[in-house]
Amino acid sequence: MTGLTPVILASTGSPAATHQGAWWMALIPFLPLLSCVLCGLVACVRPIRSTKLPAWITVVSLGVSFALMLATYGQQREGWASGASVTTAWEWIHLSWGHEPGQTLIANFGFYMDGLSGLWMLFVTGLGTLIALYASEYMAHDKGLGYCRFFAAFSLFVFSMACLVMGDNLILLYLGWEGVGLCSYLLIGYFYKKPSAVAAAKKAFIMNRIGDLGLALGVMLTFFHFGTVQYAELFPLVQPHIDSLKAGRVEDIPLLVQAIPVLLMIGAFGKSAQLPLYVWLPDAMEGPTPVSALIHAATMVTAGVYLIARTMPLFLVSEWALPVVAWVGALTALLAATIGMAQFDIKRIMAYSTVSQLGYMFAGLAFLSSTGAAFHVFTHAFFKATLFLCCGAVMHGFAGQLDLRRLSGVMFMRGWLIVGVAMLVGCLNLSGFPFTAGFFSKDMILAEAFVTPGYQLLGWILILTAGLTAYYTFRVFFRVFVGPRLFEPGDEVHADDDHGHADHAHDGHAPAGDGHSAEPPTPQPHDADHSFHPHPPGWAINTVLALLAVLSLAAAGAYFIEQDRHGWVGSMVHDSTAAQVSIGEGEHAVHAAAFRHDLTHEEHAHATLLGMNPHDVMYFVSAIVGVIGILIAAALHGPKGIGGLMIGSRTEAARSRADELLPRLGPIPRWAQHKWFVDEFYEFLIRRPLYVASCIFHLIDALLVDGLVNLFGWLPRRMGKSARRAQSGVLHQYAGQMAGGLVIVLFIVLLLTA
Amino acid sequence: MSPIALLSLMFVPAASAVAVAAAPAKLARHIALVGTLFAIVVGLVALGDYDWSRPGAMQASGGFEWLPELGLRLSVGIDSIALLLIGLTLLLGPICVVASRTAITERVKTYYAWLLVLQAAMTGVFAARDLVLFYICFEFTLIPMFILISLYGSTNRKHAATKFFLYTFTGSIIALAGLLYVVWFNATKLLPTAFAGAGTWTLDIGVLTHAGASMSLSEQSWVLAAMMLGFGVKVPLFPVHTWLPLAHTEAPTAGSVILAGVLLKLGTYGIYRFVLPMTPAALVEHAHLIAVLAIIGIIYAGLICWVQRDVKKLVAYSSVSHLGFCVLGLVAVNGPGLSGSVLYMINHGLSTGALFLLIGMVYERYHTRDMDELGGLASKMPIWSTFMVFFVMASVGLPGLNGFVSEFLCLLGAFQSPSGLGREGLGATPGTLGPWFAGFAGTGMIVAAIYLLYMTGRVVFGQLKEPRGHHAGPLPTDLTVREIAVLSPIAVLCVLLGLYPKPVLDVVAEPVAAQAQWVWDHQPGATPAHAESHGVAAPNDEPPGEGE
Repeated sequence: MTGLTPVILASTGSPAATHQGAWWMALIPFLPLLSCVLCGLVACVRPIRSTKLPAWITVVSLGVSFALMLATYGQQREGWASGASVTTAWEWIHLSWGHEPGQTLIANFGFYMDGLSGLWMLFVTGLGTLIALYASEYMAHDKGLGYCRFFAAFSLFVFSMACLVMGDNLILLYLGWEGVGLCSYLLIGYFYKKPSAVAAAKKAFIMNRIGDLGLALGVMLTFFHFGTVQYAELFPLVQPHIDSLKAGRVEDIPLLVQAIPVLLMIGAFGKSAQLPLYVWLPDAMEGPTPVSALIHAATMVTAGVYLIARTMPLFLVSEWALPVVAWVGALTALLAATIGMAQFDIKRIMAYSTVSQLGYMFAGLAFLSSTGAAFHVFTHAFFKATLFLCCGAVMHGFAGQLDLRRLSGVMFMRGWLIVGVAMLVGCLNLSGFPFTAGFFSKDMILAEAFVTPGYQLLGWILILTAGLTAYYTFRVFFRVFVGPRLFEPGDEVHADDDHGHADHAHDGHAPAGDGHSAEPPTPQPHDADHSFHPHPPGWAINTVLALLAVLSLAAAGAYFIEQDRHGWVGSMVHDSTAAQVSIGEGEHAVHAAAFRHDLTHEEHAHATLLGMNPHDVMYFVSAIVGVIGILIAAALHGPKGIGGLMIGSRTEAARSRADELLPRLGPIPRWAQHKWFVDEFYEFLIRRPLYVASCIFHLIDALLVDGLVNLFGWLPRRMGKSARRAQSGVLHQYAGQMAGGLVIVLFIVLLLTA
Repeated sequence: MSPIALLSLMFVPAASAVAVAAAPAKLARHIALVGTLFAIVVGLVALGDYDWSRPGAMQASGGFEWLPELGLRLSVGIDSIALLLIGLTLLLGPICVVASRTAITERVKTYYAWLLVLQAAMTGVFAARDLVLFYICFEFTLIPMFILISLYGSTNRKHAATKFFLYTFTGSIIALAGLLYVVWFNATKLLPTAFAGAGTWTLDIGVLTHAGASMSLSEQSWVLAAMMLGFGVKVPLFPVHTWLPLAHTEAPTAGSVILAGVLLKLGTYGIYRFVLPMTPAALVEHAHLIAVLAIIGIIYAGLICWVQRDVKKLVAYSSVSHLGFCVLGLVAVNGPGLSGSVLYMINHGLSTGALFLLIGMVYERYHTRDMDELGGLASKMPIWSTFMVFFVMASVGLPGLNGFVSEFLCLLGAFQSPSGLGREGLGATPGTLGPWFAGFAGTGMIVAAIYLLYMTGRVVFGQLKEPRGHHAGPLPTDLTVREIAVLSPIAVLCVLLGLYPKPVLDVVAEPVAAQAQWVWDHQPGATPAHAESHGVAAPNDEPPGEGE
């Protein structure tokens, strides 16, 4: 029984072969972890607790991580074409119960670096550094324990995200997956005295846990079937199934294998806020804005996209997985966009737009355009971070005001120009304005919808959504950033405080933000409120915003580098497990679902949009749709004059031409504003019944289960009690009992002998 | 490692108990602390010559004749599983002593003396290699616990103590009946040629394991039922769990810590040590029934947690839910399931023990555990809150902390042991359960997040809420250095076991594989070759964990 040694499956020598990575690659995740520990230690030392030290520790360690990531990129970029590099820090879970393949579970703290992880890590560490710098100023009013707590959780988040992205096995990915969930929980609930923040944090964690269960079961099924969870061993084992697929024999792929991606994608839907698990993300805006920017827009929520891209070979061999992903993505994009159109809280609008854009990415994955999805993740990370940080600057400066009816002309106030310009850049990107980064990345996905058979309808849905996106994006811009300079400070204003934002409950949203039927508030001219002056952002915020604005424009450049391989992002994705499987030279990618449609490869190649090559025509279609959306926004919400592109009519903040149209649409705008009552739906169909069931269980436990136990205790006592009366000590009673007993005994004897 | 070392692990706390009783009350807790710490030192010294290359073998085994005419010996011996559990017992000893310092101010001598006796008895259970010592120690844990609850508990303590005693006592009597049947079977039904020790009146656990496995399926089933009733009450398994929330709520903090940390593990250890090897065929036959009870326990008790108002009761019910995973892993009878289950015994002891300590600390300050009266403590007790969130996350099973590895392995064990499917993949093992069991049990992960975060959201976060008429007692607002010192070692272990569980997994892997192998080799109609084809391990005629 001795000598149970680990058995390592021999790699089958496929393209997924790996080579040893540099040892310092492991520092990329562990520096942020160190920073987390240091921030925790700072909190323990009273004299330095209330300095900005935690922020600088975080910025420096994340910065070094980013530099190391750049060094890794520079050193290994060429090598990724032949396979990933793996650095193992230590053995984590290593359990062996037999000698045969599949009887050893290995999940190491090993880091796997190929094009896909490289791409993700570049923007995770890069954006992380920038946003930490921004947060050093943004959170400055909270210096002390809260500041330490914030940056410790922030660093821990980057560590978890790095484990998720760089883990060389599915279980380490799961560690990162839950780790980012924890940090998200801690940071959403940062203002822990606010009941809404605590509730939102709890909701985010539990909603994510539902997805996590799917992911965990998916990992188990992967191990169950393939006997390994390490990428380096797993993907070669998928190869035979891919071969069956290429040969057109989908029926040879076992059903169990086809079920794996279905479980994995439940996890992806939870983390990336897709239908039906998206409801936590808008509520997550209770957290401080830098958190919304980094975690709930740029990085964590793209983990689902990463997961699907990483396990693309598994998704390809499933008949059901990718179609489901496509439909979920497209419908989420549409639904979230319609909700976003009707919200008044600018941060929530951005949250819904994140949900919507993530829908695009999922659809992109399903259209077998891992490149499109990854490119959109990349560009979205920059412009959405910009947008959030601009909203954060506004909130910071106007004492927590986020209601777009109470703000106007912010860009033209003193000290706000950088914020305004950055916002414009972000909005243009989000609405897919021609030649911005968002334009190229969105088009890549849209065009693919018309190339992939069976998805034309989804393509049209996504084009419609693109128009809606442009509308709600510029609705924010036209109402808040241009127009007459008017504002009403938020509820965190303190007359005795110069900065007007000393309260902990900093991120409260406007009190009248809900209740559309209420009369729109009338903002005061800014000189009417003498006690409050808006507080323009300082150097750290401005620097970060300017940098991000430039970067989000520059991201478009990635499209033009290495264009023969679909851009820089495309070349990165190509050198990873996300690379789509081609049947052969010049032919189109396949996946199992396509065979269901009984479509031949010729049809793939000749898919058209309006009779032309989709990739060419999409530039025009989406540009036109985007511009139309912007023009409608300008007409309905734009201010008079040049700011409204000559067609706007707004002269105050609260009212716009859209308000006149609303009654004609009946109850629809109100429903959209109430988020189509999805939250209420969950509340009444899931949470309440479950709670009632819990109460019933509680009663059953106390009365029935424990009652039976008590009955067992009670019966002997009761019997004893009743028997006790017989022991009365009265002689004639004893005599009577004896006589009675004798009679009974004799009777029985008589019966037996007769 | 010699049997003397093992016996002295029992002797040291027992002797300290006598010393506590003899010395003046002022010295009681100091003697107790020294005694428990000394036990740890003895344990570490003894560990020096533990043979790590044979974790599956019974080491330090030996004993002495007690009543040779009746075939009674007192023999001890440990494999790595028992070693780990003894380690947990030793660790919790000084923690409980230090944690009780301010909570227990009256009748201190009685308190610490019984606490030490309890530790000796618990160590004895894990070290025992014959039925007499095992059963004596198993039952003897009841008396100190009964006294701790009934003298030092809260308002309803008498009722709780009585119920605890009678309930678990009844259960273990039934388990004893089952075990005695095996003794009788061995002595009267087996020929001496069958294996060494067969046909004699013996209480040696190794021999009885062999004997049990030779019983017919129906005999095994009855013995299984008896043992599961006894150990199931101890675990506690649904539906015989109702003594636990009551006992926990009423027990003093240290009592709850030991109850959750070690006493519940006596049940799962009993299942591992007796039920699995003695009734292998019956276990495989009925595993799905036990698993269903475990899963009901996971979900049902988890949901009940959600509607609790008393924090301590919530954590108590969460033990019922958590131990369901442990039992699930045991009855999956394969490498991952059993290893996960053994690890779960340790991890649950750490994280739930710490939660009880934390609740006790708040109770000492506010004299309430009602979530309607208590809330938002983060703004007043940041250190306490940090620890609370940490241990809640350990309990939720967050990867990177200890709970995850064991929970994942238990679920994986259940998942990959389908009874009907045969081998459909590389990672599949012969087994009793299957993916559906893992799926349903996995919802416990969600339920755990719901009730634990609900509790955290109310007690730790939100607006500060203190009981009416609260005034500061002798304790400072936030934790003292002593309290931090109590929690820190557990926190460190949680991180270590979460990030680097390999040493523990390594020593557990071999005995666990042998155990699973034993069970599959002793199925009706199973030949070792059959098992070989499943590639579990080489055929093995020795009961798991035999020999020095």
